[in-house]
Amino acid sequence: MGGFDFKVIVDNFSFLMSGLLTTFQLAIIAISGGLILGILLGMARLSSRPYVYYPATVFVNFLRSLPLILVIFWFYFLVPILAGRPLGDFLSASIAFIVFEATYFAEIIRAGIQSIPKGQMQAAYSTALNYRQMMGYVVVPQAMKNMIPSLLTQSVIIFQDTSLAYVIGLKEFLRSGSIVDSREVRSLEIYAFLGVVYFLICFTMSTLSKRWERKKGSLR
Amino acid sequence: MIEIVNVSKWFGKFQVLDKVNETIRRSQVVVICGPSGSGKSTLLKTLNGLEEFQEGDVIIDGISLKDPNTNLNKLRQKIGMVFQRFELYPHMTAVQNITLAPLKVKKMGKEEADQKAMALLERVGIADQANKYPGNLSGGQQQRVAIARALAMEPDIMLFDEPTSALDPEMIKEVLDVMINLAKSGMTMIVVTHEMGFAKEVADEIIFMDQGRIIERGTDKSFFENPKTDRARDFLNKILL
Repeated sequence: MGGFDFKVIVDNFSFLMSGLLTTFQLAIIAISGGLILGILLGMARLSSRPYVYYPATVFVNFLRSLPLILVIFWFYFLVPILAGRPLGDFLSASIAFIVFEATYFAEIIRAGIQSIPKGQMQAAYSTALNYRQMMGYVVVPQAMKNMIPSLLTQSVIIFQDTSLAYVIGLKEFLRSGSIVDSREVRSLEIYAFLGVVYFLICFTMSTLSKRWERKKGSLR
Repeated sequence: MIEIVNVSKWFGKFQVLDKVNETIRRSQVVVICGPSGSGKSTLLKTLNGLEEFQEGDVIIDGISLKDPNTNLNKLRQKIGMVFQRFELYPHMTAVQNITLAPLKVKKMGKEEADQKAMALLERVGIADQANKYPGNLSGGQQQRVAIARALAMEPDIMLFDEPTSALDPEMIKEVLDVMINLAKSGMTMIVVTHEMGFAKEVADEIIFMDQGRIIERGTDKSFFENPKTDRARDFLNKILL
């Protein structure tokens, strides 16, 4: 073995950081796109119209029953067929993540809205508020408070999940580490470094979200 | 003013309202009582469209609730409602609870809405609590804010769904006093309650419901002193002690 040698990290630092940048880009796209699609899906899951409710419900339950890695693979092969041309691994991974994570966001949003007692909606309706006003001023602000911890936790999970894009060859953080490893054969040092970086980022994010949650909670 | 014509409603196979008929004139105060599960709250909620019904019709000022062209939101501006569990919005102060609908539905200016809200809080006796959140108010105070919230839309009709039954005994009176003043000011009121003192003081008519049907009705004296049905007599014996 010959002991640890972290020089390998220093030598390849900028290459590894460009992988980390890709990871961040993918995570931000997955979180924001997933949230937008998730809000729509969550609302559809609450709809009383069967032609809205059932397709959304089937879609959500189907995707939530598949492993993410399968969905990434599947979109990698499916998207070029649908688009008629190859779109590259970043775009295809982005689409897979948005679609997959949206189903998780949708369930958080649905549960958050359903946690608001029916009486609140009746009270809003009884003062002649319409559906949009009822949701916008009465239900969603209250539901938000219940949803935000779960949304933040899910976002941290998404950040970790982006490493699965490794399987389609996307040069995100984990992949760039493994490329360096295959060249330099310093697995222990490289994967320890990756682990420390993932840990620092995720631990910071969840600590911030917990602190923020506590601050929000004490306001009431 | 309000005509309830042969209204029937089912929850699945269970019939909750069975051919209910009733006419309520302007400025009348009608008290609905009866055992739990008798359909009284459901009947109340059909009047502002919070509950749908399968048969019959409700006509308010000539507007039919069964007519698909009826604008429910417009109708609801004329009908205020107060709930058993207050249902104040917990993320808004008392004043914000009251001004929400005037601001958003009537598009009233903020200053005017605030002034009117303060006047209403004055009227229900809790102007000093205006900027508190519901969680920091007592039950009686919350219910009075809820009454003010309903009055803010300047309704012609007020519906009360067991407004005192979630309150501690010492807070019932402060809410009933507000309601009695409202009744005396000429408001048309339909009140689901077991507060027979309130009924005796202001009710023009008392309706007794059981199993989705109105089985007895009368003015206060005739109902209390001489109930015609055994069910009503049993019920009165249980709640008047």
